[in-house]
Amino acid sequence: MEGMDLEKIVEITLRTLWVCGCALLAALSIGIPIGIALGSRRFRGRSLAVSTVNAGMGAPPVVVGLGCYILFARSGLFGGMGFIYSLSGMIVAQTLIAVPLVIGITLAAVGSLDEEWSLQVRTLGIGRGWRLWLLVREIRMGLLAAVIAALGGILSEVGASQMVGGNLDGKTRVLTTAIMMKTSMGQWEQAAGLAAVLIGLTLLVAGLLTIIQQSGRAR
Amino acid sequence: MSDELSSGAALAAKNLRCQLGSGSNRFDLAVDSLELRAGEVLVILGPNGAGKSTLLRALAGLESTVAKDSVQRGRGPVTLVFQRPAALSGSAGFNVRAALLGKRVAERERRERVAGALARFDIAHLVDHNAKTLSGGELRRLALARAFVLQPEVLLLDEPFDDLDAEGQRRLSLDLEQAIAETSVAVAMVTHDLRRALLLADRIAVLMRGRLVQFGARDEVLQQPDSVEIARTVGMTNLATGTVRRTTDGTSWVEISEGFEIPTSASLTVGDSAWIGIRPEHLKLDIGRGDGQPIGKAVVKSMVSDGLATVVSLRIQEQTFTTHLLSGRGLARRLRPGDSVSLAVSPDQVHARAITPDA
Repeated sequence: MEGMDLEKIVEITLRTLWVCGCALLAALSIGIPIGIALGSRRFRGRSLAVSTVNAGMGAPPVVVGLGCYILFARSGLFGGMGFIYSLSGMIVAQTLIAVPLVIGITLAAVGSLDEEWSLQVRTLGIGRGWRLWLLVREIRMGLLAAVIAALGGILSEVGASQMVGGNLDGKTRVLTTAIMMKTSMGQWEQAAGLAAVLIGLTLLVAGLLTIIQQSGRAR
Repeated sequence: MSDELSSGAALAAKNLRCQLGSGSNRFDLAVDSLELRAGEVLVILGPNGAGKSTLLRALAGLESTVAKDSVQRGRGPVTLVFQRPAALSGSAGFNVRAALLGKRVAERERRERVAGALARFDIAHLVDHNAKTLSGGELRRLALARAFVLQPEVLLLDEPFDDLDAEGQRRLSLDLEQAIAETSVAVAMVTHDLRRALLLADRIAVLMRGRLVQFGARDEVLQQPDSVEIARTVGMTNLATGTVRRTTDGTSWVEISEGFEIPTSASLTVGDSAWIGIRPEHLKLDIGRGDGQPIGKAVVKSMVSDGLATVVSLRIQEQTFTTHLLSGRGLARRLRPGDSVSLAVSPDQVHARAITPDA
C-alpha cells in the first residue's frame, strides 16, 4: 500500500482492536447481567424493557454516534469529561451500540431454556452463586453468539467512531474511519488494503469464536 | 423452623395459601393442615387442575406467594423431582454432581455418593453420556439419582411414572420402592397412576379445586371416600344412588332401581337417600362359591385386558359396573361379551353414605 507504511497499518489495527476489545468487555459486563435478569424474572414494565432492547438492537451506529456527540461535546451534558475526540468516547459509543445486542441475545438464550429450569436447579438446594454459574454454563452457546454479534457490530461500525473520535491521525483513527477517509480522498488502493485488513480481522475473530461454539455444541 | 415440627414429622403445612394467576385465570390453593411423617409415602390424588403440582411446589418452597412460615421443614434437604425433569448440559455424572455444588462434602464422599446414586437407579453405565441425549425413562432416573444424591429428608415427586411404558413403570416403581425403603426418606408423590400409587402409598391425600378434601390412611381413603367425587378419584368406579328400603342384622339394602338392591354394612336409616360405591376388585362374579351376597344378573358389555388384569364392563339394569379379573385365567378366558353372569358383593365391601340435602 503505497503512501501508508506497515507501521501505520499495525498502529491503526491495534487501536481498532483496543477500542473494540474494551467496548466488547464493557458491553458484556453490562449486557449479560441485564439479559439474564430480563430473561429470568417477571416484573411490571418487563415488556417495555424488552421492546426497548429490541429497538436498540437495530439502532443505526451513526445515530448512537450523534447522541454521544451531543452529550460529549464541550457544551454537552458530559462535556467536561473530555470524551469528545478521544478513545474513551469511542469506547463508550461502541459500548452503547453493543449493549442491546448482548442483552437481546442473552435474553433469548435464557428464554430458550426450559420454563422450569431455574426452579429445578433451585430445588436441589444449590446456592445463588452456583445457580448463576450453572445458568451461564447452560447458555454459553448463546453468550458466544452474543460476543460474535457484538464484536461484528462494533468492529464494522463507522458512524459512531467518526462522530465521537473524529478520525484524528495517531489518536483516534481506526480501520473503518481510515477506510472512509482514504475513499473520500480517492486513494482506492489504500482503502481496499485497509478493508482487507478489517475483513481479515473480522473473519479471524468470528471464525475463532465459531470454532469454539461448534466444539462446545458437539460436546 | 424445625422446632415447629411435631415429633415424627418431616414436613408440615399449616394454613398454606397460594395464589396463581389473576382475574379469570386465578387459582387459589388453600390447605389448612398437612403433615408428612418421616419415612412414609404420601400419595396426592386429584383430577387435573386440582392443584397437586402447585401443592408440591409450595411444599418445596418454590411458590413465591406462599408465606414462609406456613411450611415447616426439618433440617434435611427437601427436594422436588419435576414431571418433566430438565437435564443440565454435560454428562449424566455432571448432572448428579451438580446437585452437590457448593455443599460441604469431601471429594471422596462426593464421588461415592454420585456413583451410589447413579447405581441405585441403574444408570451407572450412562455416567459419561450426554444428559441431553438420554431417553425419557433414563432422564427420569437421572432426576431421581440427582435428588437422592442430596440424601433428602423429604422427596417430592411429581408424576414420576408419566410417559413411561408399562415395563419402564414397573422397573422404576421397584427401584423407587427400594430406594425409599433403604433411605427412610419421606415422600409426597403426585400421580395419575392409581395402581403404582397404591403399591407405594402409606397415606393418601385427595385434592380438589385447590382444597384438601380427604386425607388419611391408604385403605381408609380407598374404601371410605367422603364423596362420590373422591370415590371416582380413588378408583371406586362402581357408583350408584338409591333409597334404603330395609335393614336386617346390620345390613342395609339400598334399592338402586326396581328389583335391584345392593346390601351394605354402612350405617343407614330406612328411607334415606344414599349413594353406594364398590371398588372393582370387590364386585364378584358369583360362580357358585357363595362369594358374598348375590345382587342380580348382569350382561358382559366388554372386556379389555392390559396383559395382567382384564377389566370387565357389565350392564345390570340401567347401571354400568366394572370388575377386574386376572388375565388369562378362569373366567377371564371363558367369558365373552354378551354372556350373562350373576353379581355378588360382600356388604362390608360396599361403601355407602346418606345423601344429605347440602351434599
